[in-house]
Amino acid sequence: MDMKVAFYTFYILMWPALTLGVLFYICRAVWRDVKEAKKNNQGLV
Amino acid sequence: MDLELYQFSTTTVLLMLAAFYGGTYLLTLLIRKKKESTDAFMVANERIGIGLASSSMTATWIWAASFYAAATSGYTYGVSGPLHYGLWGALMILFIYPFGQRFRKLAPKAHTLGELIHARHGSSSQLILAISNVLGSTISLMVNFTAAGALVSVLSPLSFQTGVLIAGFGVLAYTFWSGFRAAVFTDFVQLVALMAIAVVIIPAVLFAMGGPSAFVTGLEGLTLEQQSFFSKTAFLEQGAPFFFAVLAYAIGNQTISQRLFAVDKEHIKSTFITATLGYGAIVIGLGMIGLLALSAGIQPMDGDTNNLIPQVVSTYLSPIMIALFFILVISSLSSTADSDLCALSAIIMADVYGKNIAKDNPDPKRMLLIGRVTMIVATMVGIIFASFALDILVMLVFVGALWGAIVFPVIASVFWDKVTNAAFTWSVVIAMIMFCLVRFELIPLTGAIAYFFEFISSIGAAVVIGLMAFAFLGIRLGVIFAIVAGVASMYYTADFLRDYTVLMASLTAFGVSTIVCTVMSLMSKAPRFDFRTISEEVQSYDNQ
Repeated sequence: MDMKVAFYTFYILMWPALTLGVLFYICRAVWRDVKEAKKNNQGLV
Repeated sequence: MDLELYQFSTTTVLLMLAAFYGGTYLLTLLIRKKKESTDAFMVANERIGIGLASSSMTATWIWAASFYAAATSGYTYGVSGPLHYGLWGALMILFIYPFGQRFRKLAPKAHTLGELIHARHGSSSQLILAISNVLGSTISLMVNFTAAGALVSVLSPLSFQTGVLIAGFGVLAYTFWSGFRAAVFTDFVQLVALMAIAVVIIPAVLFAMGGPSAFVTGLEGLTLEQQSFFSKTAFLEQGAPFFFAVLAYAIGNQTISQRLFAVDKEHIKSTFITATLGYGAIVIGLGMIGLLALSAGIQPMDGDTNNLIPQVVSTYLSPIMIALFFILVISSLSSTADSDLCALSAIIMADVYGKNIAKDNPDPKRMLLIGRVTMIVATMVGIIFASFALDILVMLVFVGALWGAIVFPVIASVFWDKVTNAAFTWSVVIAMIMFCLVRFELIPLTGAIAYFFEFISSIGAAVVIGLMAFAFLGIRLGVIFAIVAGVASMYYTADFLRDYTVLMASLTAFGVSTIVCTVMSLMSKAPRFDFRTISEEVQSYDNQ
């Protein structure tokens, strides 16, 4: 693959990749929030 | 080349909207209480975890305009365009959190920033902040309902007004009973939908349009400025005005303050960093669709660049992907609209009724009723403004200026014990007057007058940079950065900034409010303020 093509492929696709990473982090954090709330017998919000 | 949009049938669109809003409403039944607490209606349990808080912050900050504007920026300015929109917008979330930690420390039980300012200064300062918040959230509500109407009318036989009405009543239905608790809870689900769809749509568009090779070939048709990551045009016309609005939008927006007071205070930093990354990634990513359209030589339908994303998706992707895109837009506008309803209700409940009508002896039940009535009224106003396509440009300009004018007085008020109510109020008023003189060119911007405003603008630039540095690096480095930025700005903007009145007016508002607030505070003989009194005055309403 040409260097320029590789660069722009990375430039465009890095953002959905970062989005996926943040999505995974948030879902895991919410799961922990739910477990913590259940453990303390408290509401999530 | 001109393209036509895919059209869903009326039944399909109505089913999608019913599934979305009906499903969201059913979700809220999981957390609904028969008797909701007044405090929780505004700030939930004040210890929301990182996951829900960051998803709510991200979802709230992404509204329909976010990715349409990012795509427009990509289409207009080329490769750097999406960055100049998404990056600075993301920084708005990041740069507020150090100040937010201070707000929370001073007033742990607050529901609005206005309550903190009322305890610090009194009603006139508080109401300036409250009015700016109300106008801003009302505009946001109207824009989001307009986006719903536009989406529905463009992708189906249904009318614009039908889309507006469905979105308006749909959002109100699931937010009305539990308020902020419902907004935060549903924001998570809406954000998951938004993010998952964005992850799929962006690569799908890239490869449907011929892949990276076709894109790179198309770049050769762009101007040199559009091909450059360091485009001066993109920076001056998109990046710089947005950059200098960062703190203004963050300070002036109750949707952010509300989350600052609702999240577990140990998690403020991580929440806002996560939201910054999430917002930036999604908005810049979707903005790339505008860049892809530019490279492919696509002409926006009706010459309106807001049509770019629906146009590209409709032309290149399958009906299922178009349906997913529809859900993405509805999710983004609904998550922001429900936050605007909560922001408006909290401001009327706490700032208007709690601190000014009931005068610190509010009835919690009446307060809750007022909050819900506010949501109904706000929804009606938003629907009417959206339906009649009222021109809100002047209001938007005014609100932006007001937010710019209050940045320094608000931040200075929570750190410096010499700032007075008079300094706060007069600095904002005078800054607004000077802003209007520049923005609407009410005086000729030539000769000595132009140099004067370029000088003031340099002070404004110095203040913005200095405050951002102060937030993360402390007062000493904040001052050093401010001086360096001010000197550099004076050198570069002399004889130049006068041609960019939008930017110059915005910086003038910052500069004038700083100068007036500082001078009046230094000259004041009032006793120094005791910050400990703020937490004594700003309390929960349910426990009173």
